[in-house]
Amino acid sequence: MAPSASAASGEVAVVGVTKRFGETTAVKDLSLTIPHGSYCCLLGPSGCGKTTILRMIAGHEKPTSGDIRIGGQSVLGLPQIERGTAMMFQSYALFPHRSVLDNVAFALKMRGASTADRHAKARELLTKVQLEKFADRLPAQLSGGQQQRVALARALITNPRVLLLDEPLSALDEYLRLRMRGELRRVQKELGITFVHVTHTQLEAIAVADTVVVMAQGHIEQAASARDIFVAPRNAYVARFVGGQNVLSGSVESVMNGVAAVAGKNGVRYAIPVGELRPMRGSPLWGSIRRDRVAIEKVAPGAKPTTGLNAVVGEVHTLENQGSYVKVTLDLADSEEFVAHVADENFFAHPLDIGERVVARWSASDVKLLEDGPIAEERAPAGTAMATAG
Amino acid sequence: MAIVNPAADAFAASDRAEPEAVEYPGERASWLQVAPLVVVLLLFFGLPMLVVLAVSFFDFSRTEIIPAFIFDNYIDLFRSEVTLRLYASSLKFAAIVWAVTLVLGFNIAYFLVFHVRGLLFQIGLFLLCTVPFLTSNIIRMISWIPFLGRNGIFNQALQGAGITSQPLEFLLFSDFAVIVAYVHLFTLFMVVPIFNSMARIDKSLLEAARDAGAGRFRVVAEVVWPLSRTGIALGSIFVVTLVMGDSFVVRTMSGGQSASVVSALQNEVAALQYPPAAASAVIMVIIVTLMVAGILRVVDVRKELAG
Repeated sequence: MAPSASAASGEVAVVGVTKRFGETTAVKDLSLTIPHGSYCCLLGPSGCGKTTILRMIAGHEKPTSGDIRIGGQSVLGLPQIERGTAMMFQSYALFPHRSVLDNVAFALKMRGASTADRHAKARELLTKVQLEKFADRLPAQLSGGQQQRVALARALITNPRVLLLDEPLSALDEYLRLRMRGELRRVQKELGITFVHVTHTQLEAIAVADTVVVMAQGHIEQAASARDIFVAPRNAYVARFVGGQNVLSGSVESVMNGVAAVAGKNGVRYAIPVGELRPMRGSPLWGSIRRDRVAIEKVAPGAKPTTGLNAVVGEVHTLENQGSYVKVTLDLADSEEFVAHVADENFFAHPLDIGERVVARWSASDVKLLEDGPIAEERAPAGTAMATAG
Repeated sequence: MAIVNPAADAFAASDRAEPEAVEYPGERASWLQVAPLVVVLLLFFGLPMLVVLAVSFFDFSRTEIIPAFIFDNYIDLFRSEVTLRLYASSLKFAAIVWAVTLVLGFNIAYFLVFHVRGLLFQIGLFLLCTVPFLTSNIIRMISWIPFLGRNGIFNQALQGAGITSQPLEFLLFSDFAVIVAYVHLFTLFMVVPIFNSMARIDKSLLEAARDAGAGRFRVVAEVVWPLSRTGIALGSIFVVTLVMGDSFVVRTMSGGQSASVVSALQNEVAALQYPPAAASAVIMVIIVTLMVAGILRVVDVRKELAG
């Protein structure tokens, strides 16, 4: 029978799991603990293994090695019905030959509930998602957003302790997607059960999740709170993938008062705070600067801009008005894309044109050190800052 | 929780609007496209059927066919006990063969669709199923005779293995042999449409059913079977009409001991008794049409093909 959400813990632990499909390794020795009652997003590009993890938790795939525990108990080899999980599929997977009511009641039918009981419970859930008047329709007669709510009601009917959502919003249009992600978060808070939500959309993950797990090629790059993922990415991959950051790289020239002066490829010099670390001269170092902490100034034609630390000169490549800010992309001769988010009132006070030469400046205190590659130190290691992030 | 969708009501309203009869610009082109088939069907099916219908009311003697409008042919047909026996025999074969080919066809299609991984392998195995069709029906059927015969391979193998001491007599020239040949000839007609229906089932539906707690057999009963209904119906139509319309298999494999409606009809044609043969054919067409209509009543093939 369905475990009740209050009695059984919905803590999900993935312990050293590896999953291989033939020659390819989808998940490599991955460990992750999702606390009971939290909303966790697995975020990554397609093929990074996030859906495989979800399917292993649901029991639709078996790990090649490692363990999956729910509420402290290993669920390897258990049928879906004994795991206390329910899955919402990407395409909703509603049974096309059954009415909305029978779709929602299906899991209770499998558990041997009487028709009257299961229809009563299904109607109750349909009322909660405001679809009670569509109970007798077939799924094909509903819109995408309605089908999604039917899928949600169907998944919740067994009172699961863990709800697994595979790209639940990807089939919806933008308007419904924004509405539904708020609703999902609210439903999760209301039920107090664990949600594991797979997505490849950064803003969706940040908008709904307590914990965001950024994945690449079968391993975790960073698992942290949504806020930390956004403001304090651990490495260049997370900074680039989550967006909202510019990645700075170069080799160390000097270190003073916990700040390294770094020379980039294009002759630009950055200051990157390194804390207790003492990186060796000439060693590579990476840092990130938030796009909205970058100020843009026009450079008069012919004038030679003053570039000290923390400034780059480039041409405006693209301009995108995002409403509350304008996204300004700069062309920096050789390095990767550099983006500034300029608040709308600042931008429209001094509008820019594509092709104009500008200088972008930022404050050294807004730069965060990224952990890419080993940091070669001059003396014995001064701390263990490397190992603790995330 | 309350998840409101303001578009819901608008959607519901638009859903109920009845489409009005509109002349589409492509309508004439559509008629032109179906015209060749219509002509062929009218000339080579419609017209002969009308001739048969007309002849079924004719009178006849030993030497000639006399144009008339009499019901004697039908009255004789319905009075004859032989008619009833022949139909009972044909319907019995149709029912048994339908059941056997359905079980085989469903399982083969299920295996191909859900157990064989890789499209290439799937297509390869599917083509393997069609290999027997590379030779003629008659050769495939006749080849059962040396296999099932009194001194055939199967009996020799059984005796050689010490399982039986005497050859099994019922293997050949019996109802059993007729059914074996029918099943061999017609299983593929069941496999193909069911395979076609099953291949269109979204695999995530099976996972959703398993996720909801369905075991292996519940998944088949609750999801795969109902969603294969179109294929099952089409396959059933093929098999039932083929068995009902057969004379050759039943005559050859039963060694002349069993007859079918059509083989009796052929005897009448051979004796140049065209009017009673025509009456028999008309009744046969009506009965088979009713059977097909019955199948289509259970499964709305057109609706399911459109969806």
